[in-house]
Amino acid sequence: MSNRAMPTASPARKPWRSQAQPIVVYALLILGVVFVIVPLMWAAAASFTPNHKVFEYAYPFSWRALFPVDFTLEAYDNLFERGFGRAVGNTFFLAIATVIIGGGVNALAGFAFGRFEFRGKNALFLAIVMLTFMVPVDLTAIPRYILVNSFDWINTWQGLLIPGLANSLVIFLFRQFFAEIPQELIDAARVDGATWLRVLVSIILPISKPVLVAAALLMFISQWNAFFWPLLVAPTKEMRVVQVEISLAIGQYGTIWNELLAGSMIAAIVPILLVIPFQRYYVQAITGTGLE
Amino acid sequence: MMRARQQIIPYLFLLPALLLLVVFNLMPTIATLFESMFVISLRSGERVFAGFANYNRIFNDPIFWKSFQVTVVFSLLVNPIQIALALGLAVLINQRVRGIGLFRSIYLLPIAVSLNVTAIVWGLMLDQNSGMVNGILWQLGIARQPFLHSVDQALWSIILIASWIGVPLWSLFILAGLQNIPPPVLEAAKIDGANAWQSFTKITLPLLRRVLAFVLVADTVANFLMFAPILLLTSGGPRLSTNLIMYETYRRGFLYGDLGASAAMLSVMLLIVFIIVGIELYALRGSD
Repeated sequence: MSNRAMPTASPARKPWRSQAQPIVVYALLILGVVFVIVPLMWAAAASFTPNHKVFEYAYPFSWRALFPVDFTLEAYDNLFERGFGRAVGNTFFLAIATVIIGGGVNALAGFAFGRFEFRGKNALFLAIVMLTFMVPVDLTAIPRYILVNSFDWINTWQGLLIPGLANSLVIFLFRQFFAEIPQELIDAARVDGATWLRVLVSIILPISKPVLVAAALLMFISQWNAFFWPLLVAPTKEMRVVQVEISLAIGQYGTIWNELLAGSMIAAIVPILLVIPFQRYYVQAITGTGLE
Repeated sequence: MMRARQQIIPYLFLLPALLLLVVFNLMPTIATLFESMFVISLRSGERVFAGFANYNRIFNDPIFWKSFQVTVVFSLLVNPIQIALALGLAVLINQRVRGIGLFRSIYLLPIAVSLNVTAIVWGLMLDQNSGMVNGILWQLGIARQPFLHSVDQALWSIILIASWIGVPLWSLFILAGLQNIPPPVLEAAKIDGANAWQSFTKITLPLLRRVLAFVLVADTVANFLMFAPILLLTSGGPRLSTNLIMYETYRRGFLYGDLGASAAMLSVMLLIVFIIVGIELYALRGSD
């Protein structure tokens, strides 16, 4: 990539684009990639390394730090012996339940806002959806905690799951997508006597794959990565999610670095494996609201 | 848009989501303001009305003001740094060079990773004795740095950790804005003899104004609530140098059981968030 001719004299190629010199572009791109990838490679390599060798090639630094040269599964074995599998199972269950139940709840609301005219529509949208979108959930965690505590939901699935089901960002995504579906499709089904619920399930949802994938990714990953609320509401060993488990491991097993990193790698790999194949949907999901 | 015959239907569809949002989001927002007027103990659960006593306490508390000051300094550093780098990264990954798709995929990785994992990994990378960053400095002949253990460097270390996720995240929004600029606009500038820098500052930046305004607000709010790296790595230290306000509310409320003071601080933060968002809405309304 280093010996490419300078493109200054090639206005025929994409003339409107102010192209920088490729060598400069590649140099900067690679610099950024180093910054992104080196911590992940070291953490992954160190998680497959005996604990006493975790820092061996990091200080002083050698390339061996980025590869599991002393490969062992010891950290992962020990981690799961301590019951980490429970946290992984909890988090999967919680994230999947959020996608299914939350997806249904938010899709119904998005459908109502996107396809119906009714009294109070704009007021409800502004006062509830927009307002809750603007107030970060962590800021209101204390009264939510007191409320959930009064339901006796501390250290329960209900306490973990229910407060996060309705998601104004996801309602927003559904509303925008549903509003653009051609009216004829819906009219045809209505003439045939289909109920509105049936229209949603058998006409609209089958042609809504982009927004369904985007919403599912957004809900799954934000639940998988959620930390503050699960830390407050479900701190016992049986109910812990992955993010809480690894954060408590810092205090409890502070010097068992390879296990700490093994837990972190499990916490990281799940969303990474979801984002890479569906990146277009994911990017649309997170940037969707910012540009309106 | 249609007229539905059965007018009850849309309300039924809205009911589950709006009920949940009202109970678990809207009511707690209002309740935060109410809670700030009560003295409440996590252990006994008893609540006593206290008027503005909680506010009096926090406003006369040097630890609150120190925390406020650290948060302001942090915001003034981290937001401009992240937005400038995100703008640069967005321009970079908007270049049409071979393999750019692969680079874009790699830059998505930090966005998928949680802040906890980022804090744990970077915490070990920045280890003062044997972390890799010191290992690289050693190769360059530079002495070991204390990073998270130093009053002077801890906040910068938190900025680094926050930016590892923040810069790629916000660059996605700016990239989407760049791709929304119609090519003929930039073409016309080029025909008129504008060089790359001129067309960037005179055409591209003004057209990105709305996106940048959104990113500025969203980034400011997100960093204002920075919590996990503090809990996991510094507990606010050393000597309160990283005691960001969100961590201070957690420390008061959940470690010391002083929910009243915590709610008073959260109410102040809510007010600040509303002011920031309000300025954005006002600014954007004027710009069309």
